[in-house]
Amino acid sequence: MTLPLEDTRVDISARHDPPWETVVWNDPVNLMSYVTHVFREYFGFSAERAHERMLAVHHHGHAVVAEGAREQMELHVQAMHDYGLWATVRKGSR
Amino acid sequence: MTERIVVLELARLEAAHLTDLIEQFATLLDSGVGDDPAMARLVPDAYRDDAEATAEFRRLTEDDLLQRRRDDVRDVLATLQVDGASLRIADIEDDTATAAMTVPLDESQSAAWLRTLAALRLVLASRLEITDEGDHDETDPRFGVYDWIGYRLEGLLQALDD
Repeated sequence: MTLPLEDTRVDISARHDPPWETVVWNDPVNLMSYVTHVFREYFGFSAERAHERMLAVHHHGHAVVAEGAREQMELHVQAMHDYGLWATVRKGSR
Repeated sequence: MTERIVVLELARLEAAHLTDLIEQFATLLDSGVGDDPAMARLVPDAYRDDAEATAEFRRLTEDDLLQRRRDDVRDVLATLQVDGASLRIADIEDDTATAAMTVPLDESQSAAWLRTLAALRLVLASRLEITDEGDHDETDPRFGVYDWIGYRLEGLLQALDD
């Protein structure tokens, strides 16, 4: 048996980390319609998905709106702050 | 190429009041964040449990965020001008106060309007110490201003979604 080492390179230098998350928090000021608009415009969510995420923020106090590399999540959080939404970065749990 | 245009209709007196409010906001922006909770709300902590990462994020983003607010304010104020001049509350005659003025907005101007109206509400809410959606004091006229900005924001969102 020959191992196909020529065309396979397995990266064992890092274990798989859970992705980071962008979390949007509920606040008593931003209009529900505005939050939905921001999710549609910035994240490109469908109207249904934007509405669902907005309601998740509203009813649960916060909701995850994106997952991925930490740097990317920080860009998202800055963008949310730009819109006046209250957002934070956190390490994902899975 | 089509650029979406929204046309707002405002009473002249309303436009003058909005101009005044946004100019106050501009002054606030120039005064920096300091220990003002209203300004702090515009540049909130990016991490809930990591002071070091929060400070680093703030160092990298705060100036940009505040500059963007200033750019938005400048763009919005420009759309509210009539014949190149800002409307002043004191200069509006009684018989023209309710006269309508139309404010056409292209896509980037309407985005600046949305962000600015939303930011004005955040600042007003901080001054009014609104911590719950139900907080409202009928006897305080500032709540009327807060509601009015919300009404305008809602109207603009509806116009954009049509």
